[in-house]
Amino acid sequence: MHELSIVEALIEQVGQELDRAGQPGRAAKLELSIGLLSGVNCDSLRFAFDLLSPGTRVEGAEVVIDEPKPTCHCRSCNSSRQIDELTPHCPACGSDDILIEGGREMLLQSIEIEDQDD
Amino acid sequence: MKIVAAKKILKANDQLAAENRARLEAANVFGLNVVGSPGAGKTTLLEALFAALKGRLRPAVIEGDIAGSIDAERMEQIGVPVVQINTDGACHLDANMIAIAGQELDLNAVDLLVIENVGNLVCTAGFDLGEHLRIVVLSTSEGDDKAVKYPAIFQGSDALFVTKADLLPHLNFSVERITADMRRLAPNAPIFVVSAVRGDGIAEAADWLATKCQRRPN
Repeated sequence: MHELSIVEALIEQVGQELDRAGQPGRAAKLELSIGLLSGVNCDSLRFAFDLLSPGTRVEGAEVVIDEPKPTCHCRSCNSSRQIDELTPHCPACGSDDILIEGGREMLLQSIEIEDQDD
Repeated sequence: MKIVAAKKILKANDQLAAENRARLEAANVFGLNVVGSPGAGKTTLLEALFAALKGRLRPAVIEGDIAGSIDAERMEQIGVPVVQINTDGACHLDANMIAIAGQELDLNAVDLLVIENVGNLVCTAGFDLGEHLRIVVLSTSEGDDKAVKYPAIFQGSDALFVTKADLLPHLNFSVERITADMRRLAPNAPIFVVSAVRGDGIAEAADWLATKCQRRPN
């Protein structure tokens, strides 16, 4: 459940970003990128968010999670393809002379704030 | 209104880790983060490596455990300065814990600071502690499929230590398979197949570590 620590860090960071933007209120929507190989379970992340967000500046915010895929580079056929899960073989030519890169991102991409028309 | 942040969620941890690294470098200390499952043999591996490095490097250890001080007591028994962190349930160490624990150590009397992380193949992967090198320890009895099942920890590690090689005759563990899987995730990471109780591979691994320490930034 390291998702709890990650959400704690996220909430703190959203607060800092809101302060930096001179926004005193709360976030309405968060966009995150959590790579498929990051070791973070998005269901656990949402669970941790529901647990930790009440009373903070992200309470009630919609959380949109993009899950970037890793790339499989094949040194036999020189192809580079995004893959949905780890594979021991190149999806194009079947060679096992491959290198898996990326998919480990854990990013806060953006924060949306509701327009205040009062 | 939308604020574009595009920042690492663990940015605060990463900043503290960078400060830890700078503190180590100022004292000319090399930091090593040791990760792996509970029971992988991390502490036993360290005991064997420290014995092999005796007279060459002055080690110190930060032990991370959910509870207890069994590992710290083992380090004290072999005369290695040690600080125990109890995470009280948390499944990984973070850079802030290391910053606090590091204050307990006299870094001027240390060449190699080993941080033995909480036994866990998942949660420890995302947290930079300020180390210069991270090694992942996998015992033969855990099975040769672990790099595929827990890719993040293997992908982000600088070396793989396959421990309990003395058990290989009794297990269906394929060194070739774990080697091939590790090559796909971390092509430049060396792989050491060792038995800490019998001594296989320990001298070679200790030499590698000593070389890494000599090339430390300062």
